[in-house]
Amino acid sequence: MLMLAVTNLFPESEEKVGVSVTETVDWLVSVAEKRDRYAFERLYDHFAPRIKSYMIRQGADEASADDLAQETMVQIWRKAHHYDPQKAAVTTWIFRVARNLQIDRLRKHRLHEVELTAEAEHKDQGYGSHERFEKRPDEDKLRSLIGGLPEEQMEVVRLAFFEGLSHSEVSCRLSIPIGTVKSRMRLAFDKLRMGMGEEI
Amino acid sequence: MMINHHPDDATILAYAAGSVTEGFSLVLAAHMENCPHCRRRMAEANALGGELLSELQPVAMSVNGTEDIWSRIDKASDAEIPEPTIPESVDGVPGILTPYLPGGIDQLPWRSLMPGIRQYVLNGVESGRGSVRLLSIAPGTTIPHHTHLGSELTLVLKGAYTDEIGRFQSGDLADLDDTVDHQPVVVDNEPCICLIATDDRLRFSGVFSRMLQPLIGI
Repeated sequence: MLMLAVTNLFPESEEKVGVSVTETVDWLVSVAEKRDRYAFERLYDHFAPRIKSYMIRQGADEASADDLAQETMVQIWRKAHHYDPQKAAVTTWIFRVARNLQIDRLRKHRLHEVELTAEAEHKDQGYGSHERFEKRPDEDKLRSLIGGLPEEQMEVVRLAFFEGLSHSEVSCRLSIPIGTVKSRMRLAFDKLRMGMGEEI
Repeated sequence: MMINHHPDDATILAYAAGSVTEGFSLVLAAHMENCPHCRRRMAEANALGGELLSELQPVAMSVNGTEDIWSRIDKASDAEIPEPTIPESVDGVPGILTPYLPGGIDQLPWRSLMPGIRQYVLNGVESGRGSVRLLSIAPGTTIPHHTHLGSELTLVLKGAYTDEIGRFQSGDLADLDDTVDHQPVVVDNEPCICLIATDDRLRFSGVFSRMLQPLIGI
């Protein structure tokens, strides 16, 4: 009885535990390869409410956040074949789709980004092999590293990722020097990369 | 291409967060086209974004069920969206810049700014209060001492310059903010062509340079 009550109080945390990294990969690959509607609905159930949450944080009202979350899901359906499970986690790939749509629709500009194509990898010969290929970072490890970051570092990271604030805007919001904003970001990123075993 | 100067970690995070100007993203993408080291860093910063997204408190969609999304998908073209492709790099200039440089770098309608310095402004690239421009600087020319109100990203496309930080050549990216007061000097025998994005106005330090500022419009 008690267990049931707890489950009802925190439905989202139950649901989060219920979706594994491998499952999301299988779903997205199945959408790409088989146009699998069932798999897409699983992705929708899990991600659409999170994308909506992201859009609200970026300044969208309720109705536009719904619309942008749906539009992101339409793009996921239509771009699923771009996803390469060797290179990125599903969450990373979906984050990029949502972010780019948000920049396009809410900020009315573009974010230029270089996709790593096979030819580009070929041209990169001469670099260390650990840098030549992008490899999918270990999400579980990344999650626990993020959990271990000091709150003052997470605060600047969240303001950048969720509210789209530039360094100088974060500096104004928190009334701290811009140099402090940047050094907190550096410390956070450095700790994550060290934890992920980067030779940088 | 041996690249020695890269964007700051804080810049990479801001780029992945999507909180930079379009102009900054263009310069960063142009650098990364030739820099696997920074593409790797970007992949990690994007992975951080993905984790943050998945940890957000979900907000229920206004419409229950998936009927709506299917009707939306069926209304949209079911055609798969092709992967964006980047044009071939021409003569060492990153391919992502090709659409902005009609006819190639030698055919641009350069405008003279001051003796030894010519510029070409890339229009239609969102840059806040700043800009994106190419500067072509003759050998031996010195850019007047200046600092930046916001940040400045400079990517060297051809030639080389040195300043208080070091030597910058093709592929190198200088990531500067208002703490840096620098005076770049073009070295070697060829002009140095740089792609420069600012997100605010430059601030020249000397009295003479300050008088020039309205004329140059940087």
